[in-house]
Formats: sequence, structure tokens, C-alpha cells
Amino acid sequence: MNSLLWLIPAIPGLGAAVNGLFGRHLGKRASAAIACGSVAASFLLALGFFFTRFLAEGGASARVEQSLFEWIPSMGVEWAYRLDSLSMVMTLVVTGIGLLIHIYSVGYMSHDGGFSRFFAYLNLFTFFMLNLVLGANMLLLFIGWEGVGLCSYLLIGFWFERPAAAQAGKKAFIVNRIGDAGFILAVFLTFVTFGTLDFYGVMGEIASADMQGGVLTAIGVLLFVGAAGKSAQIPLYVWLPDAMEGPTPVSALIHAATMVTAGVYMVARSGVLFSHAPAALALVATVGALTAIFAATIALFQTDIKKVLAYSTVSQLGYMFLGAGVGAFAAAIFHLMTHAFFKACLFLGSGSVIHAMEHAEHASGGHRHYTEMQDMRNMGGLLRHMPRTGWTFIVATIAIAGIPPLAGFFSKDEILWKTFEHGHFVLWGIAAAAAVMTAFYMSRQVIMTFLGDFRGGAAMEKHLHESAPSMTVPLVILAAGSVVAGFVGVPSALGGSYRLHTFLEPAIYAGGQAPPAMPHNYALEYALMALSVALAAAGIWFAWRRYRNAPTRDASLAGSGAYRLLLNKYYVDEIYDATAVNGTLRGGEGLYRLDQRVVDGAVNGSARVTMLSADLSDLSDRNVVDRAVNLVAEILGAASTRFRRLQSGLFQSYALLMLLAVVLLAGALVLWS
Amino acid sequence: MSDALASLGRFLPELLLMGALAVVIVADLATQAWSLARSRNLLVGLTLAGLGAAFVASLGEPGGGSLFASMIADDGLLGVLRPLFALTAIFTLLFSLRAKELDGARMGEMVALLLTVTAALMWMAGSVNLVMIYLSLETVSVASYIMVGYRSSDRLSNEASLKYILFGAVSTGVMLFGLSLLYGLTGTLDLYGVRAALAAEDAGPALILVLLLVAGGIGFKIAAVPFHFWCPDVYTGASTPVTAFLSVGPKAAGFAVLIRFFYSGIAQPGADGTFAAVGGVDWQGLIIVLAVVTMTLGNVAALLQTNMKRLLAYSSIAHAGTILIGAAALSSEGIGAIVTYLVIYLFMNLGAFLVVILVHRVTGTFELEGYAGFWKRSPLLTVAMGIFLFSLMGIPPFAGFFAKLYVFAAAVEAELGWLAVVGVLNSAVAAFYYIKVLRIMAVDPGDGELPALRFSRLDGALLLALVTPNVVGILFGGALEQISEIAQRLLDLA
Repeated sequence: MNSLLWLIPAIPGLGAAVNGLFGRHLGKRASAAIACGSVAASFLLALGFFFTRFLAEGGASARVEQSLFEWIPSMGVEWAYRLDSLSMVMTLVVTGIGLLIHIYSVGYMSHDGGFSRFFAYLNLFTFFMLNLVLGANMLLLFIGWEGVGLCSYLLIGFWFERPAAAQAGKKAFIVNRIGDAGFILAVFLTFVTFGTLDFYGVMGEIASADMQGGVLTAIGVLLFVGAAGKSAQIPLYVWLPDAMEGPTPVSALIHAATMVTAGVYMVARSGVLFSHAPAALALVATVGALTAIFAATIALFQTDIKKVLAYSTVSQLGYMFLGAGVGAFAAAIFHLMTHAFFKACLFLGSGSVIHAMEHAEHASGGHRHYTEMQDMRNMGGLLRHMPRTGWTFIVATIAIAGIPPLAGFFSKDEILWKTFEHGHFVLWGIAAAAAVMTAFYMSRQVIMTFLGDFRGGAAMEKHLHESAPSMTVPLVILAAGSVVAGFVGVPSALGGSYRLHTFLEPAIYAGGQAPPAMPHNYALEYALMALSVALAAAGIWFAWRRYRNAPTRDASLAGSGAYRLLLNKYYVDEIYDATAVNGTLRGGEGLYRLDQRVVDGAVNGSARVTMLSADLSDLSDRNVVDRAVNLVAEILGAASTRFRRLQSGLFQSYALLMLLAVVLLAGALVLWS
Repeated sequence: MSDALASLGRFLPELLLMGALAVVIVADLATQAWSLARSRNLLVGLTLAGLGAAFVASLGEPGGGSLFASMIADDGLLGVLRPLFALTAIFTLLFSLRAKELDGARMGEMVALLLTVTAALMWMAGSVNLVMIYLSLETVSVASYIMVGYRSSDRLSNEASLKYILFGAVSTGVMLFGLSLLYGLTGTLDLYGVRAALAAEDAGPALILVLLLVAGGIGFKIAAVPFHFWCPDVYTGASTPVTAFLSVGPKAAGFAVLIRFFYSGIAQPGADGTFAAVGGVDWQGLIIVLAVVTMTLGNVAALLQTNMKRLLAYSSIAHAGTILIGAAALSSEGIGAIVTYLVIYLFMNLGAFLVVILVHRVTGTFELEGYAGFWKRSPLLTVAMGIFLFSLMGIPPFAGFFAKLYVFAAAVEAELGWLAVVGVLNSAVAAFYYIKVLRIMAVDPGDGELPALRFSRLDGALLLALVTPNVVGILFGGALEQISEIAQRLLDLA
């Protein structure tokens, strides 16, 4: 069975190839069957591994390894996959939730012209994502990392006829370049330090030599720069909200459930390294907590149904990093898993709503812009028209708000508790405040979308109806997951045994030692648990009081500065544009102009030199020089003004410049020696 | 005499090229009366056969040892670069069949020049003698000047050719002066003799002058800042197949000379594959400065270009800077990284130029705005361009990633981590302008309803031949390292 491991990523890869090359000739039905079938096959294989190898006694420390070939011999890197408890959980999330989203997409994209292209991208994404989680070394993880990024840009810009979508794809690409630069530098630094890139090898060496700080901090910080790019943390989060321009299943799969959590996975995968670099860990925790509350405040007053969810995702990713940052890597992965269920459910639910809205708009003869169809101010009362979408959305909302016994309660509460337990009271306070806001903005969203009366016009309301079963069945399954997924990690305080925890630890601390458990303080834990439930309930209650009878009352806040600040996302995009983006472009332009001006200046200078030397030299020499110059001048005069810059390329100026450069280089060389 | 005869046997690729040259010259004269298409087909066929034979003959293990009384090293470096030059020439020849600029042109001189320059590139890459270096470099240059000015009725082409000649004359003249000084200092023309002389006795400040003058000549060939000024103008003025050729062939040969001169002439191998400067001048700093300046200026200037050929010119300058990082590493690993880069660069850069040629064929423009709306006209071409550009960016899973990986790894290994950081940041900047091209192709609407594109079989085959290595290259780290390992076997290290 071990030798079948490579098939888990390979099958979706094959699906992508088939759909990409022959999709147009296959027809929609075959395209969909190939795409969904390949992910289903991977999911079944993953389940097979799970049941045969990991569920048995001592399965937590089971390892399935397969090296396909020697990949980069000089660095001792193999193309090798490794399935341990951590990658097992990730693989199940990626293929399981991925499968549901594939199935959902069949209905959602059924009328799109790029149907087979869409599924080719989606399968390709799954292929790279599985390389990312199964890669046994940093370099293979990096290949997956960049591959999912590539698919993400392609899918954000899938509807590239919309300028906003093209712009968003470009933004995601550029912002991620910054993060990826950090990652690849971390890879180099790791290789130089340890001579290997295999995760187990690196972590084992750190643990056995009991290294502390120093280079580990540097590697940790660089890795986190990469993670902050991919997982949308401050200051690199700006691309994720814009990424919502992609089709909604993409938002659910890539920008909520899987790809954006890759950073969290990578930090957990390097758990031993981070445990030995407290400074880097503190950075992770702080950035995580700040992102959690920062994004939550922005989500408070957004009106676009997907934008709320996007900022919510950024905020929840912040929670995961907070968990990892306080050393509770397993709790971070736990939240990653539960979040995959309820956030995928919420996104697909919003997709179902948008689908219904757009359909009704078309059916009633309207032609409003697509952003209007995603505006919650035009919705309301949809629960009556689409009960399955509505109720699953409500279940997922309760889960994310943290109401027991739904999944979000267990995972979020564990992060809060670990933060407090490790003595990070300020971070705990921030995270608790963000929890209130989460409950508030999610409830606001449910009220504005599903309760009250429909605000989009009577003509449109007649045409509202529930989406097709291919879309609602995945919703129901995901909602069920949002209810029960938390039970794998019930804390001992509630009579559980942290099962997911014990399952993950052998992988997270592979080669090293898990830190000793803290002494139980159940009284405190109960108190905090009660408090966080109370906070969640308070958030819901605030939203209910505020919006129940006046869903669009935020309009009256338009005069408030704070409201405008939040609605405009703290103007961060504008600030980045004004500083970083413009700065780079202007600096570049300045340098380029300087380059050109030096050339121009040199032209004049060298002309004088030429004349002088012509006077001094004999006639024939002068003729040669003059002729060359005249010839150039003639050509210059004749060419169009568009080539003015090009014309400044007189050879004398070049020669002079070269001389100048040689002098400068000589100086550098002397100084260096 | 017997040495010369024995050498001839190991000189087969070059001899084949010279033979083909003689044949095409005669064929060109004999077919003056034929129709253009007919003579063109014959000449191209003959040239292709010559280049193909040279390519095949150049495969296989290099012999080791030197040829023609220590003029040319028949070592691993030459062994790897010979087929690379032949392949570049083959692509160039096939490109020229599809380039609109060369429609209706007689091909006699073009193919003769191509054969000459290819042979000269091989001499250049093998030269281990100061005079041989100069002669081969000058042969490449003279043939290149004529190729640039091939469209004698075109003003831009003439202007470019003139600039190239003037600047090239200055550069090679400067380099010749440097080489003569070096001869004066050491009393030998043989590179290994130079090394021995310098190792025995420091040459003092005069060597600094020599290094700068020679760096000028080499910098001109690889288009390194500040010897790059000719590059954008010449790339724009030359016909696109010639531009494509210049951006790969002479650049690769320039790097070979750089390795020969710096690593074999003024440095000696130390323990575990490192090199140490001899003669009392630590020239590593020179290469580092050149690398940083070249990368940065190339990338920054490329950001603002609106003409595709100029953009690719600055991009090729930036790539030269990145490759120089490998040269700064002062290690066998660095040599391997340079050659690996050059091999991958051949496929990604020629690929990008092929798309430029095909686009120009239908739009008649090299301006970026002419690329608008290509997704609608030809998704295939857009995807292919995407692959080439992503590869040029160095983003996995495309082969360009390996190119950068090995160069940066060599720098890190040589404790030049900060230089790798500069390189990585530069790659991030480069993403801006490459992605801009893609955005224009995929997103910007073209002018009105343009017809879908149809490609000839040759176009399809060329695209396939260039796309495939970029896509599957990521799986062939082992094979690349074999090439790299062979290239590291310099004459004295075999």
C-alpha cells in the first residue's frame, strides 16, 4: 500500500492534464466527471491510508514514506512524499472538502463558457496542494506552495473580462512575490545551516543539538514572512479580500479552506524549529492576534456578502497563527480543520445566494452590475426562498461564532485558553475582543441576508428559488461537519482527551520532544470557557438588537469618521499605493531617467571632446570621425521623435560612459582589495 | 604537426560547420538564378543539415586535454557549450523562416554568417590562449555586426549595426589593450602560463587595469552594466531572430570566456572546489559589483518599457546580472550554476522571442499595446508565453526556478548570502514587468474583432520544442546536475 502514496497527488494532476488538453472536446459532463472523479479517488486513497495505517493502535506515529527519484542530488533532495499524522489530517481536509467543492462547482459553473478550463485549474490546484502537504522536504513544499499560488492567480482572474478580477489577480501575484522571497531565503538558510532540507532531518538536528535562537530565529522569521504572504497576515493580507473577484467555489476552496491555511501548516510542520526560536514565535503570535482583531473590525460594516467572509477568513487565520505562536500548534491545526468546514459552508452558501440573486435578476429582466447582486443591502428574507442554503448558513454561523457544542467553539476556545495559559494576557484580551466581533458581524450578515423582508424588489423576488441539489448537498454535508468536527478535540476539562492533539503531536514534534503539559487548572479553564461563550452570545445579541428591525441602519452612520475608516478598510490599500507601489515606480522612473540624462549629458560633453580631437588630428582622421558622426546625425534626424531616447545612444557618449564606469569600478576594486 | 592532425579529429563539430559554410556559399552562387523560395529552401536545408551534424558530433563526453598547441581546451565546459551553440543556431535558423522582417530576403549571406558565428562561438568557449580569445571574440563580433545590419534597406537596422560596430570596436580594442598588458606582465599568452606567472609573483596595480579592461570586453559580450548601452538599441534594430540569437549565443560564449579568463587565468583552484585569486588583486568584488548593478538596473529599466524587444533587452541584461552571481561564487559549483542557467535560459528566452516573432507576424508591431487581446485570438500562444515568462521569473514549477536556485545556492555556499538576498529581491521586482505583458495579452481588449490565429506546423513544433523543457524541466534535476558536473571539469580539473 505504501507504494501507492504518489497516486494521491498524481491522480488530480492527471485530471488537470486531461481537462486542460482535451477539455474542449470532452463536453461538460465528461469534464466534470474527470475532475470530481480524480479528487474522489484521491480522497478514497487517503481514507484507505487513514483507516489501515493511522487508526490502528499507535497509528499517531505511523509514517508512510515514498521517494520517487533523486531530484536535486547536489543538495541531497529527493522527490519524496511523506504521510504522517499532520499531513494525513491536511490531506483529508484538502481532498475531502475539495471533493465537495468540486461537486458544488458542477452546478455553480454549469453555464460558464470556461467550464473545462475551470476544472483543469481546480484539479491542478489540488495536485499542487497535495504536493505541498505531502512533500517531505522544504523544496517540494515550495514547489507546491508556488504551484497553488499560480492556480490561485489563474482562478482569481478567471473572469478576466472584469477589470477588477484581472487587477485582483495581479495584486495577489505581486504581494505573494514578497512573501515567497522570504520563504526561499529561509530554504537557503536552512540548507546552509543543516545541510539538508528534509523536515524530519532538520527538526531532528535542532532537537538533538538543542539549538536556541540565533539562526533559528532568522529562519523562523523568514518562514513567517512567507506564511504571512500566503496566509494573508498583516502587512501582506491586502490581496485576499480582492481575491473574492474569483468564482465563489474558488473562494471557498483556495481562499478559505486550503491554500491560505498553508502558512499555518508550514509553521506547524516546523514546530520544533519555532519552539527553539522564542522570538520568532512571539512575532507569529503577535502578528496573528493583531490580524485577528484588525480584520474583524473591518468586517463589522462591510456590505458585500463575500467581503465580510473574506475579512472573517483573514481574522480566523490570525487566530490560527496566534495558536501556533503560543506554541499550541495542534490547536492551530484543529482550528484550521474546523474552519475549513464552516468557512467553506459559508462561502458556498454565499455562492448559492449570489447564484439565486443573479438568476432572479436575469429572469426579471434586470441588468444591474454583479456587485449589486452581492450587496447584502439588496437581500433580506432569503431564508424563506432558499431554506437549505439559509439553514446551513445559520449553522455555520453559530459554529464560527463559538457557541457550543459546534465545531468552532472547541477549536477557538482551545486557542484562547492556550494563549491565556501561557501567560499572554494581552494577546488573549485582543483575541477575546475579536471573538465578540466575529459573533457580531456574522450575525449581522445572517440577519441582513436571510431574515426580514427582501429588499431587491418584488419583480425579482418572484424568481428567487433554492439552488440545485448538486449545490445544496455539499452545503448540508459541510454544515453537518461544522456541527460535529469539534468532537475530535474535546478538551480534558469537558471529559474529552484532546484526541486530535495526541494524534498530531508525534508529527509536529517529530525528532524532538513535545513540551511537558501544564498542570491542569480546570476551575480557571471553566471560567474562561464560560466567559468566551458569554462573549459570543453577547456579540449575537448586539447584532440582533441592532439589525433585527432595521437591517440597513448602518447608512445612518455615514457621517461618523470611525465608520468611514472601517468601511474603507483603514485606507490601507490607498496607503500602500501611495507609498510602496508609487515609490517603487517613481524610484524606477527616476533611475531610468537618470540613466538617460547621463547619456544626454555625455553626448554634449563628448561632442566637445570629439571636436577638440578632430582639430588635433590630421584631415583624414577628421573625415572618418565626422562622417561617422554625420551619418549617425542623419539617421537621428530622420527617425521619428518616438525614438528620441534611443537616438541619444551616440557611441561617443557610450565610450565616455564606459570610461567613467571603468574609473568607478577601479575605485570599487581598490577599496575592496 | 602530429598535434594539429590529432587535434583535427576532436574538432569535428567546428569542421562540420566550416564544411557546411563552404557548401552554402557555393550553393548560393550556383542558385542565383533560382526562384527565391527554391534557393531559400535549399540553403536552409543545407545549413540545417550542417548544424544538425555539428550538434550530434558535439554530444558525448569531451575528450579532455587541449587542441592545437594549447590554443583550445577540449574540456567539459566546451563539451557542454558546443551543443548549446548548435541548438541556438538551429532555433535561430528556423525562427528566421517565420520572421516577417526577413520575408523575401535572400538567405545566402544569413546562413553563411550563422554558420561562421556558431563556429566562432565554439572557438571562443574553448579558448585558453590570450590571442585565441581575442581572435574568436572578434570573429563573433564581426559576424554579429553584419547580422544586425542584415536588412540593409532598413534605417533602424543600419543604425543598430553602426552602434554595435562602434561600441564593439571600442570594447574589443580596450580588451586587446588589457590582454597585451597582461602579456607584458607575465610574458606568456597561455592562460595557464599566466596563472603560473601570477602565482609566482604578484603583479601589483597594473593587474587592476588589466582586469578592468578585460572586464569591459567581456561585459560588452554579456551585456553587463555599465557596458550594456548598446543592447536595447541593437536588440530593437536587429531582426528578431538575430536578436534572439544575440541574447543567448554570444552571451553564453561571453560567460565561457569570463570563466576561462578569471577562473583559469587569474585564479587557481583550492581545496573542495573553490578558487582563489592570484596576482595580488582580489577581483571577487569587481564581479559582485557588476552583478548587483547589472541585475538592478536591468530590472528597474525593464519596468518602464513599452516595446517588447526593449523589454526583453533589459530582461536579458537583468539575467546576465543574475548569472554573474554564480561567477562571483569563486567555486566549481558557481561554474556549474552558470552553465545550468545558460542551458535553461536558452529555452525560456528563445521561447519568449518566438512568441514575439509570431505576434509580429500578425500585428506588425513590437509595441506592448499590440499584444492586447491575444487570449481571444490564440489561447495557445498566450499560455505558451505565460509559461516562458513564468519561467523567466524563476517561479516553480517551471524550469527557470532551477536556474535561479543553483545560482543562489552557489552564492549562499560561498558565504555570499546577502548577494543571494539581492538576487531574490530582484526576482520579485522582475515579476512586475513580466506579469504586465501577460496581463496585456490576457486581459486588455484588442482593437475590435480580430480574427483567430492559425499557426503553421513549424510554429507548432517550435512552440512545443521550447515549451516542453520549461514545463517538465523541474523533474530533471539529476540530468541538469550531470551537465553541470561535466561543465565544471575545466582543462586542469578533469
